[in-house]
Amino acid sequence: MKRRTFAACAGLAALAAPFHAAWAQNYPSRPIRLVVPFPAGGATDLFARELTQAMGEKMGATFVVDNKPGAGGAIGSTAVANAQADGYTLLLATTSTHAIGPLITKTPYDVVRDFSPIAHVGDAPSIMLVPVDSPAKTVREWIDLARKNPGKLNYASSGIGTIVQLTAELFNAQAGVSVTHIPYKGTALSIPDLISGKVDVLFDSLPTGMPHVRDGKLRALGVTSLKRSPLAPELPAIAETVPGFESNTWFGLYGPKDLPAALVARLNLAANEALADAQLRARFAKLGIEPSSSSPQDLAALQAQDTAKWRKIITGQHISLQ
Amino acid sequence: MELIHNLSLGFGVAFTGVNLLYCLVGCILGTLIGVLPGIGPVATIAMLLPATYALPPVSALIMLAGIYYGAQYGGSTTAILVNLPGESSSVVTVIDGYQMARKGRAGPALAAAGLGSFFAGCVGTLILAAFAPPLTELAFKFGPAEYYSLMILGLIGAVVLASGSLLKAVAMIVLGLLLGLVGTDVNSGVARFSFDIPELTDGIGFVAIAMGVFGYGEIIANLSQPEEDREVFTAKVSGLFPTKEDFRNMLPAVLRGTALGSSLGILPGGGALLAAFAAYTIEKKTKLRPGEVPFGRGNIRGVAAPESANNAGAQTSFIPLLTLGIPPNAVMALMVGAMTIHNIQPGPQVMTSNPELFWGLIASMWLGNAMLVILNLPLIGLWIKLLSVPYRFLFPSIVLFCAIGVYSTNNNTFDIWMVGAFGFVGYLFYKLGCEPAPLLLGFILGPMMEENLRRALLLSRGDWSVFVTRPISAGLLAAALLLLIIVLLPAVKAKREEAFVED
Repeated sequence: MKRRTFAACAGLAALAAPFHAAWAQNYPSRPIRLVVPFPAGGATDLFARELTQAMGEKMGATFVVDNKPGAGGAIGSTAVANAQADGYTLLLATTSTHAIGPLITKTPYDVVRDFSPIAHVGDAPSIMLVPVDSPAKTVREWIDLARKNPGKLNYASSGIGTIVQLTAELFNAQAGVSVTHIPYKGTALSIPDLISGKVDVLFDSLPTGMPHVRDGKLRALGVTSLKRSPLAPELPAIAETVPGFESNTWFGLYGPKDLPAALVARLNLAANEALADAQLRARFAKLGIEPSSSSPQDLAALQAQDTAKWRKIITGQHISLQ
Repeated sequence: MELIHNLSLGFGVAFTGVNLLYCLVGCILGTLIGVLPGIGPVATIAMLLPATYALPPVSALIMLAGIYYGAQYGGSTTAILVNLPGESSSVVTVIDGYQMARKGRAGPALAAAGLGSFFAGCVGTLILAAFAPPLTELAFKFGPAEYYSLMILGLIGAVVLASGSLLKAVAMIVLGLLLGLVGTDVNSGVARFSFDIPELTDGIGFVAIAMGVFGYGEIIANLSQPEEDREVFTAKVSGLFPTKEDFRNMLPAVLRGTALGSSLGILPGGGALLAAFAAYTIEKKTKLRPGEVPFGRGNIRGVAAPESANNAGAQTSFIPLLTLGIPPNAVMALMVGAMTIHNIQPGPQVMTSNPELFWGLIASMWLGNAMLVILNLPLIGLWIKLLSVPYRFLFPSIVLFCAIGVYSTNNNTFDIWMVGAFGFVGYLFYKLGCEPAPLLLGFILGPMMEENLRRALLLSRGDWSVFVTRPISAGLLAAALLLLIIVLLPAVKAKREEAFVED
């Protein structure tokens, strides 16, 4: 039965191939809609607007950014999962929608089955922030402090099952410390409590955190990328103290499932060309995002690898929706 | 005098032809979207954000800020004329503003809102200019325990909002708290009462409830009556401008509202919003002068105080944004995005690294407020003409604009269905004689209260004494207790009932 279905699909694909080839030559003949599953004005939205403008120039096409926020990105992702695979509806997915989200809640889509990966377009590392009067001046000192005060210290996050919380739990697991979770409705709202020392540590994005470091109210102990980040070269990687520690928010371009290979290739090329632009790289740096270049397979592999990594943390640290 | 130097730098930036033009464009746009029910500044600024790419950063931010406070002015117009609070802060304006409009006093109500807002805006801007850095410290003093106690105070104040039965008011607050429970719980991550509908995991939108219960509910109630009994506004409009007596009543209310708004606006956790509620509560608790109209039936103080408070709060809520980079509401979050687009790192450095932007923006706010008064006062006559539009044309337009407005916030049709459903709920409330304002306050305060209560207890590891050992928190709780006693005092209770019987 399974084999027959597969054969039928292959047959259909073979029939459709010439049609797709001709079609791909005319593509794009109308504006391409990129669904951003987060509100306008946020980092993901700004990133999407810069990226689509550059991709549009490379492809001679117009992109329209369509913000469909809600349910941690699940609403926008569902819209794309159910869209026609004609290359005119794409999704800017993130770690939240395509790796962590499905592990934490029941999403109406299956990340692997319902989407066609196109390109991994960027990574945003976080930084480890403590109040400026914290006795810990390095990652090592922080670990010592936490070991001396088990269960007494607090970390802030933007809620259960967010990348911010999981990064902190990954750190707790790998450094062998126990720190209490204090959820907020967004990291920005936790910053006054961090500055005044009501909470002790926060893993936050560079653009939100760095201004307070420069203002002398917070101290950055390290960056969460595996190696030092070009976005903040002065900061040590946490991995220099806690070997192998890595946590990035990645951004991936996806289409609905069964997007014709010719279209995937076309979009992947445009994305990679756009991301190579030096001016654009400088603009992304302001958003705390390092552009990356990749094949569709790279994105699929990254998604699978990250899902496995976070699943381990979620089960190991007993993170669940109580 | 550094302040004078700074302000002159700011006015130098704001007083250029281009920036004055963008300020005016922002104010006009803001007024327009404020008047259109349901279309709020969030959706407008989000839509215009990409269009500002081409503008110089200062001009772009001046325009976006203009939209924000322009919408505050426009929003009060809709609240007063058609009983529709476009934003949470105008919920209380509706109570007495709409009653004034029904009695043919829409003109004085609009003028009171405009003049009060202008005065408050000027004071707020001055505070922002002079004291922004030291006031930031206040935000650090406010932790979860303090926020929780502040919310308690606000919630008890909500009881005072109702003019009718105390029991019904409490019931509406509790219903509001329950509606506020819908959505993902911050502490456990569990989606409560969402029935597996993804849209409900973010909770029910404020705009959907406000538009539905106030707007659609009222329309259904109106249409259910035979045409000749329908709500028609008194043809005789008694004067466009407030009388001398009105001014005498208004002035202290405006001063109190401004003081409250300026101080609460500094708190990033919903302070500006509470200001309007608190201002109304205080007015209602001060003694009526002989011959004054009671609250809930068109008292001009009930318009002037909350409008001043929300405008002062709107200005001072720029303090956490500009000095800390913390956006206190959705509009401010968009402003952070706008700064990022223009290569300005929002945060504590804005003031020193981009002084022309910081002071230019502040100066433009003052100019913008002046423009708005000039723009709005002569327009009052025009707005009032709107009321003479036959109801058969007016109500479909309101229905349509509300639908467009709620759709534009999330680009999702689900929200339109929600407004429709809440319209019927609103009609039910109308039939039962329940006032919706306390419901909305419960709805807004409930989730914030729970969040802060649980956060405070998490931080204290379950020790409840934090609420009384921290001085600010203890003070707020004492004030709440005092307010509760006032509400429950037999004398006051008797007076409330007396007022109720008069109906």
